[in-house]
Amino acid sequence: MILHIMLKEILEEILSLRFVLSLLLVICLSAAGGFVFVDGYRQQTQDYWNETNENLSAFSEQAKQLYELAFYRQEIYRKPKLLTLCAEAFEESLPNNFRLNVFTFNLPQVKGQSNFTIPYFSSVDWVFIVSLILSFVALLLTYDSFCGEKEAGTLRLMLAGSIPRHNVLIAKYLGAMFAAGIPLLIGLLISLIIVALSKDITINTDEWLRILTIVVLSFLYLSIFVFLGMFVSTRTIHSANCMVILLLVWVGLVVLIPSLGRIVSDVTSRSPGQEEFRRRLTEAEEQVNSDVAAGKYGENAGRRSPNPKECNPPARARYINASTDAENRVIKEHHNKMVAQAFAGRNLTCISPAVIYQRASEAIAGTGINHCVSLFQQIKQYQSQLKEYIRNRDRQDPDSLHLLFDEENSVAEWNAISKRPVSFDTVPKFQERDLALGQSLKLAIWDIGLLALFNLVFFAASFVSFLRYDVR
Amino acid sequence: MIWKIAKKEFLLNLMTFKFAVATVVCVVLTAVFVPILAKDYQQRLKDYDDNVSANEAKLREVKVYKVLTPTIYRPPTLLSVFAEGLEKRIGNSAKIELKSIPELNAAPTEVNPYLSIFPALDISLIFKVVISLLALLVAYDVISGEREQGTLKLILSNTAARHQVLLGKLIAGLLTLVVPITLTFIVELLVLEFFPMVDLGWSDWARIALTYIASIVFVSAIYNISLLFSCLAKRSAISLILGLFSWVVFVVVVPNGSIYLARRTHLLEPKEKREGQIKALTEKYKSEREEIGAKLPSGGLEYDDYGPFGEWYVLLCTPSGAEYWQKLSTLRNPLEIKYADKFWEVERTYLGDLFKQNYLAKSLSRISPVSLYENVASTLAGTDLASLQYFTDNVRVHRNKVIDYIRAKTDNFSALSYFTPSTQEAREQFEKYARAENWQAIDELKQKTIDNTPSLDLQDFPRFAYRPDVVEGLRRAALDIALLIIANVIFFTLAFVAFIKYDVR
Repeated sequence: MILHIMLKEILEEILSLRFVLSLLLVICLSAAGGFVFVDGYRQQTQDYWNETNENLSAFSEQAKQLYELAFYRQEIYRKPKLLTLCAEAFEESLPNNFRLNVFTFNLPQVKGQSNFTIPYFSSVDWVFIVSLILSFVALLLTYDSFCGEKEAGTLRLMLAGSIPRHNVLIAKYLGAMFAAGIPLLIGLLISLIIVALSKDITINTDEWLRILTIVVLSFLYLSIFVFLGMFVSTRTIHSANCMVILLLVWVGLVVLIPSLGRIVSDVTSRSPGQEEFRRRLTEAEEQVNSDVAAGKYGENAGRRSPNPKECNPPARARYINASTDAENRVIKEHHNKMVAQAFAGRNLTCISPAVIYQRASEAIAGTGINHCVSLFQQIKQYQSQLKEYIRNRDRQDPDSLHLLFDEENSVAEWNAISKRPVSFDTVPKFQERDLALGQSLKLAIWDIGLLALFNLVFFAASFVSFLRYDVR
Repeated sequence: MIWKIAKKEFLLNLMTFKFAVATVVCVVLTAVFVPILAKDYQQRLKDYDDNVSANEAKLREVKVYKVLTPTIYRPPTLLSVFAEGLEKRIGNSAKIELKSIPELNAAPTEVNPYLSIFPALDISLIFKVVISLLALLVAYDVISGEREQGTLKLILSNTAARHQVLLGKLIAGLLTLVVPITLTFIVELLVLEFFPMVDLGWSDWARIALTYIASIVFVSAIYNISLLFSCLAKRSAISLILGLFSWVVFVVVVPNGSIYLARRTHLLEPKEKREGQIKALTEKYKSEREEIGAKLPSGGLEYDDYGPFGEWYVLLCTPSGAEYWQKLSTLRNPLEIKYADKFWEVERTYLGDLFKQNYLAKSLSRISPVSLYENVASTLAGTDLASLQYFTDNVRVHRNKVIDYIRAKTDNFSALSYFTPSTQEAREQFEKYARAENWQAIDELKQKTIDNTPSLDLQDFPRFAYRPDVVEGLRRAALDIALLIIANVIFFTLAFVAFIKYDVR
């Protein structure tokens, strides 16, 4: 019986104007998104490899003298990911350029095709289509599932038979999911075909698995709205009222609550501004300077001259290292606070299934702010790796003073770090590592759980509500 | 007749569930959002006031003209509560110094780049989304609904002309929608008035009034679109579906899609070009600087100190050092100013490219009334790109004034007061002690110089005064308002034509 009702629902939906319009809209958006993605991704990949190779070749020039390797400011870029087709996650507006040498690093910057004069916008990726358009479509398909049939008089006819109410509910749910799933799958297929047919883009197995996981997530997300639509439908008598309530709920959940993120995080955990950042840097420097005056690092740590015998190189090294460490601490703290504010804003808005879905898709696709943060950590690890390498190679040179500190002219004049050449092949080079699928799933597990919880809550609500629904 | 129909429609609308729910939702959202937004504005205003007073305090500690490099801050606009625009996405401070010309930027120290993942929340969002939805829901069954009920043919079988019926329904719809719009504005203004530190001037009131009118025009455009669908469809369900889909396209797809397309079609110049230009200029600048430095004999021993704004100056030097610095400043500073201009030209070309992309995105999005309204709201609030550019232009003019002031006071950078506060006597003593390597005496002399030098008298120093240009803002908003009015006219005309041929049976 469930199958019969389900088939009837599916046929009814597919033949309606709203389904045809939804399908058309989703197809157009997916196709447009697919073509635009292919062009953009190609360009970005090309730019990325050009920059990285340029950086590596300039870096390799420095291998002629070990100490130059330490002072060269590498420019590391974030690799563009294929799965931004699914979840672009604002990668184009997030920092993608990291400058660092062995001692210190700059705050990550946004470089490339980004345009800071353009206000916020969402790329037309799958997450956009599913979280905004298809959730809307799911509500449109289910708003009159019960109250509409009650108005038409067919609900009481259906229930006058021996069908239990829960069967009707399940059948309607399955029918609506099928009807909502068709534009979803067709849209995804169209964009995948466009990507697969493009010449230089290939999707490997890991990426296919992630795409499959995101498809499952999308169904989980849509199912929330189907249950929501059914629940509100069983609470109202007129389908027009049901539509009004559902639209307002949709606007609240999908448009308004996600927008609260920034403003609430500004009020609760605002990251320090420029003046505060400068003040901290000055304070840290003043502290180190007063320590030098007090003789904390040794005699004459403040003295600098081209002849190492006229000053105290180890003391100077300690002083400069203390200064660099203090500066790095301030920069790291500032960066952490900036990231913390963004995460706080996200966390505060995860009452909205749209935000949860977005976060989960980003975690599985490995894009977005998590990508930036994990890249930053990898770069810090690389920095210490490179420093270790330089320290080890420097130990092999009996002529050097074996002092690593961030003052290039002193290091060069005093031979504090070895000036011998090294083979560039032995120098550690930065390579971005992607998180394994298992780890990505671990990141997303809470969000998947939350989506499942939403499903359960709305299912229970519609179940209980329908059992008491007056069908006359 | 028109008024009779309008009155009947209006009273009926007021008693519907959708009107009640949507109005309550608007009022509640406004009552919840405005305090949060006002608190955020208060915080930003406090930061601005603190920064400006800290800057003034530092000005009182300046001892030489070389370190006179204050920072100018952009005040937050109150109307950003209504339309945030670009206010939080672009840096709000600019340093006045010889070596760089202030320009719009979004450096990571000024603006947190990780917050670009969030959309902006402001009151105009409630208008763009909730009230426009209400307009849609009020209008979708205005004609097709009456046809289904059978009352349309009854009205038209009498002496009521079709145009009277349609005009009456239009007026009724607008009156219905004016209620939640007005309530939202009243709640917003009441909450704002109660906040301390929030001060509404006459120009603010004028802009709020204009925003109110623009909101009504926008909502009426959405109403007319939905009215058109109602006149095209035979069943209200179909007109609702059509209306909802066009709403989704206008609210969600067009604003995002137009920016997305603009960024892909108008690709920015590769940054290698800009970086190459900057590198070439830097090399040239360095070589010219070294050329100047090489011509002059060395200055000898000197001690530097830092001014309150972070720039260094010469605390103590020998008399020959003073001569050296005099000559150097006279020769190098004009060079610095010249190259600041050249670097700025490169930056300006880059920004021009960004603005073109922005302009393309704006033009593409103008098919949606929602984007038109957003443009109007942010222009009237003073948070659009042009307002921020105007501020930066003012800062640049101020920089020129400061440079002229310093030039005048130091006789074109040649006076000693430009780079050192030390007296001739102190310099001679310093030379004596330096020759004798009497470091303790030198330390005492340094301290004495710091303690005894008075700060500069900056009473006639040009102070930055900024007034947003309201009239210019109105001129810029005029195009989008005109387009909204034209959209209203077009959609109403189409609805009219469709209704003339409508089968009412």
